[in-house]
Amino acid sequence: MKWLELLTVAGATLVAAVTVVVLYSLGVRLTAIAGDRQVAAPAWVKYLSYACFGLCGLAVMFGLYLIIPYFSG
Amino acid sequence: MVALVIALALFFDFTNGFHDTANAMATPIATGAIKPKTAVALAAALNLVGAFLSTEVAKTVSGGIIREGSGGVQITPDIIFAGLMGAVLWNMITWLKGLPSSSSHALFGGLIGAAIIGIGFHAVNLETLLQKVILPAIFAPVIAGLVAYICTRIAYALTARHDPETGSKLTQKRGGFRTGQIFTSSLVALAHGTNDAQKTMGIITLVLISAGTQQPGSGPQLWVITACALAIAIGTYAGGWRIIRTMGAGLTEVKPAQGFAAESSTASAILASSHLGFALSTTQVASGSVIGSGMGRRGTTVRWRMVGRIALGWLFTLPAAGIVGALTALLVKTGVVGVVIAAVAGIGAVLYMFLVSRKSQVGHHNAVEVEEAGQAIRFAKKKALARARAAERAKNKNLKGPQL
Repeated sequence: MKWLELLTVAGATLVAAVTVVVLYSLGVRLTAIAGDRQVAAPAWVKYLSYACFGLCGLAVMFGLYLIIPYFSG
Repeated sequence: MVALVIALALFFDFTNGFHDTANAMATPIATGAIKPKTAVALAAALNLVGAFLSTEVAKTVSGGIIREGSGGVQITPDIIFAGLMGAVLWNMITWLKGLPSSSSHALFGGLIGAAIIGIGFHAVNLETLLQKVILPAIFAPVIAGLVAYICTRIAYALTARHDPETGSKLTQKRGGFRTGQIFTSSLVALAHGTNDAQKTMGIITLVLISAGTQQPGSGPQLWVITACALAIAIGTYAGGWRIIRTMGAGLTEVKPAQGFAAESSTASAILASSHLGFALSTTQVASGSVIGSGMGRRGTTVRWRMVGRIALGWLFTLPAAGIVGALTALLVKTGVVGVVIAAVAGIGAVLYMFLVSRKSQVGHHNAVEVEEAGQAIRFAKKKALARARAAERAKNKNLKGPQL
C-alpha cells in the first residue's frame, strides 16, 4: 500500500490550497482596507494588495508549470 | 466492432464531460460569479485545452486492475465494448438522479464486470483494485474536505473586519472572492480535461492496437486526441444541470469566499494527485471540498441526507456498472446477433432515460431553476430589478394610456 504517496498528496494539497487562499484572502482584505471611506488608508496598502494577488497568480502558475509535462519535461 | 467501440467510447467521453461540469462550475454558478451559460462554455473550452495539454497518455486504461499484456489475459474489443456500456448506462442513471459520481469508477466497474464474464475471475487483480479504486475513494473526499474546511476557516478569519473600538462588524467586502472563483474554477476545469479525456484516448488506442491497426506501445493518434477532446468539450458544454444543482445548492449553501476555498482545494488535490501518481477521482474530491467548506463556514448547514445519498451512489457505482458490463459481455459472447441486441438495448436505454429526463424537467424546473438561481445573485440582481421596474412602468403606462 502506498501510504507515503497518500500522505504526500494530502500534504501537497494542503500546502498548495492554503498558500493560494491565504494570499488571495490577504489581497481581498487589503483591498477592502484601501477602499475604506472613513479612514484614509496609506497608499502602500493598495500596492500590497496588488502584490498579494500577483503572488497568488505566480503560485498558481508555478503549480501549472509543475503539472504540464511540456514545460517541466 | 472496432467502429462501434470507438463510437461508444466517444459517447462515454461525452457523458463524462456533462457529468463532471458540476465539479468545476457548480460553485461559481451557485454564487453568481459566472453566468451559467458562460460557465459551461468556459469549462468546455478549458477541457478542450486540457485534453491537448497533457501528452502523457496511453497508459493502460484499467491501470493494471485487469491483468493484461504479456503473461496476462488478452483484452478484446468485445470486453471493452461491454465495459463501456456499463459505464455509460451508470453515468446516465446517476445523472438522472442528479448524483455526482465518478466516471472513472463506472468505467472500472464496467470493465471488471465484463472481464469476469468474458475471461474469468482470475482476470481481475484484487490488490490493485483495492489500492487504486477503493482506498482513494475513501480518502479523496476526506483529504479534500479537510483541506477545504481549513481553507474556508482561514479565508473567513483573514477577511473578518471588525471596528477596533466598538467591536461591531464592518462591511466585510468579500466580493473579491467572486472574481477569484472564476480563476479557481477554470483551474479545476483544466485539470479535469488533462485527466479525464485521457481515459477515452487510452481506450480507443487500446482498441486500435488490439484490432491490429496500430503498433503496440505507441501513443494515441492525432485524430483520436482531437475526437476525444471535442467529445468531452461538447459534453461539458451540454452541462449536467441536475448535478450542478446538487453540487451548487443541494449539499450546502455556497458563498463566494467559501466557494473560492473549496475550488482551491479541489484544484490542488486533483493536480497534486495526478502529478504525484496517487490518482484521486475528480468528482469525489470536488464533492468532499464542497462539504468541507460547508462545515467551515459558520451559519451554514450541510445537508447530510444528500451526502448520504451521494455516498450510497458511490458505493453502488462499481457493482452496478459491473453488472451491466457483465450482462453486455454475456450478450456479446453469443455472436453478432448479441452485439446488435446489446447495442440496440443500450441506445434504447439511453433514449429512455433522456425522455424521462425531459418529462421531469418540466415537473421540477430543473435546468431553469439553476439558471435563475445563478442570475438572481448580486451581479444580475440589479439588472433584473431594473428590468422588473421597467416592465412595471411600461405596464402602468399601457394601463393608463387608453384611459386618458
